[in-house]
Amino acid sequence: MISVQEAITRFRRDVTLGTLLRAVLACGVAAVFTLHFVPLGKQIPPALLLMALGAVWLTLWYRTIKGSRLAAESSTLIASGRLEQAEEQIEMSLRAFSMSRSVKSMGLLNLALVRLAQKRWPDTVLLCREVLSVPQKASDHVSKSGRLMLADSLLEMGDLRGAYDALAGLYNHRLTLSEAQNLLRVQTDYLARIGAWEHLFQAVHSKVQLAEIMPPANAARVQAMLALAALKTGRADWANWLRRRVELLVDAAVLTEERPTLRELWDPTVQSSSSSSVAATAMPPAPATDAAPPKLPEPPTTAATDPAAAAE
Amino acid sequence: MSEASPPAFLDVPALLEGSVPRPRPAWLWYSLLSVGVLVMTTTWSAEGNPELLQVVRFFGGVLMLGLLIGMGLVTSYTVKRQRAEQQRVEAIEELVQLRRWDHAAAMLQGMLSQPTLTMAARLQSLIYLASVLARYHRFEDAIAVHNYLLASAQFDPATTHGIKLMRAMAMLHEDHLVDADRAMSDLRRDAADSAGLALIEIYRDVKTGHPAEAIDVFRERLPALRSQLGHRLGDAYALIARAHDLLDQNAEAAAAFENATLLMSPDELYRRYPEVAAMRDKYPPATPPTGEAA
Repeated sequence: MISVQEAITRFRRDVTLGTLLRAVLACGVAAVFTLHFVPLGKQIPPALLLMALGAVWLTLWYRTIKGSRLAAESSTLIASGRLEQAEEQIEMSLRAFSMSRSVKSMGLLNLALVRLAQKRWPDTVLLCREVLSVPQKASDHVSKSGRLMLADSLLEMGDLRGAYDALAGLYNHRLTLSEAQNLLRVQTDYLARIGAWEHLFQAVHSKVQLAEIMPPANAARVQAMLALAALKTGRADWANWLRRRVELLVDAAVLTEERPTLRELWDPTVQSSSSSSVAATAMPPAPATDAAPPKLPEPPTTAATDPAAAAE
Repeated sequence: MSEASPPAFLDVPALLEGSVPRPRPAWLWYSLLSVGVLVMTTTWSAEGNPELLQVVRFFGGVLMLGLLIGMGLVTSYTVKRQRAEQQRVEAIEELVQLRRWDHAAAMLQGMLSQPTLTMAARLQSLIYLASVLARYHRFEDAIAVHNYLLASAQFDPATTHGIKLMRAMAMLHEDHLVDADRAMSDLRRDAADSAGLALIEIYRDVKTGHPAEAIDVFRERLPALRSQLGHRLGDAYALIARAHDLLDQNAEAAAAFENATLLMSPDELYRRYPEVAAMRDKYPPATPPTGEAA
């Protein structure tokens, strides 16, 4: 099993080496073409040199394509829950040299996804920060997924300020449906932790529609958070309806063990202590320039992912 | 003179035939070869003339540069087209998930009416086509697409299982009970603990008048149904409501129907299962709250 530090070291080395190699190859091609127009070209045949450069380039790209395939396969393995096999694939892809920065980033991001599934939050944070520190030219997906995972892990570690910063970076991106679902899950968690119940309950109908097409555990957790927000904002009808849905989807005891704040939905006696402690302990320090608690704006979604427009 | 009839919407044989990717022309290799031959012959013919050789070298360099730029442009154009195709497939997937069937159907019609660039995009689109056809209750067409997919491509086990589940459900809807039973046996061998399979078994029992068996399956498999189906658990509750209704257990039927309609809208359930529609207005559905915060 590859350690996080080793993965990061290899990632940095390959990114630097890849950039260097691309520059060397580009200079080589330019030099070969110059040979056609200078007397030195009579002694050294430029066509042969170009062919040699082409062979090197093809070999390196073959390795890159292989790495890209390994990264894609590991994504499929993670999606089907085969984490050990996925980790082996990721290790192979990270150990293999690749000229493409996005292939390497994808490998590191997949490792972060595995660590997230294993609930190894600090490792996930390190990996996501590393991926995000490298400028992504083409891959918007890497940046969005990295930020979502970073926010998720930081929330689990109780770093609300860090989670806010990670989420705030997403509002400049257009999101796919699955990214919008992930954002909603992390966002509800964040808003519940800072006690922003009014904000959490806003646009509840759209949020519920989006939650309905999530996997069962996430659908239940998001709707439970919304039920709590409804309870806190005096909408008992919504609170009751959402709580009953959650009870059908998952075991409430398991859910409250993961998120003790949600106990209040089933046990009204914990109401005062839970809400005050959440508000007191979970509020992140106010930003230096803005005294208001950091609330999150709504991100742009693709035309197809606006659940409010999903009329049948 | 009779007018030609317009092409049918989501005509499965036409879409299956029309979407096959065309083999890529090998013109790139031909042009590479031609340039190579041209450069070699001109160099050879100018061998005795140093001035001509200089000109040949110059134009050879320009030609190579042009070829390199051309290859770069062609590659970039191809990658852009493939990316656009993949984005279309992803958009269709989102429309299907959001149940915006008309939009999804229109996009599928447009996409599969012409050869796709990659086989992967075609296969993914065909899977969504089968879902849309089932939504329009064109189950025979959906079965044809499922059979085509299973016969002509290798998928990972989870995708294969999903396609087989959809096919078995479509067979039940079309009353192909023998085929459906065979398909279920096949599914049981693949993944006996599948909640999708449990849902199909419940539907088969309700459809064939064995409500007690349906209730037994539901009770036995409820944990798997809860953990795997999400809001589609509403389907199972709706079918169980019908099973209780068939047994004149009205209180249990009412409770199950309320659970079903907590998770899904009654109209959607009536649309999916004619058996559930048969008890329309008999039991009160759960009422969703109205209004929300601004």
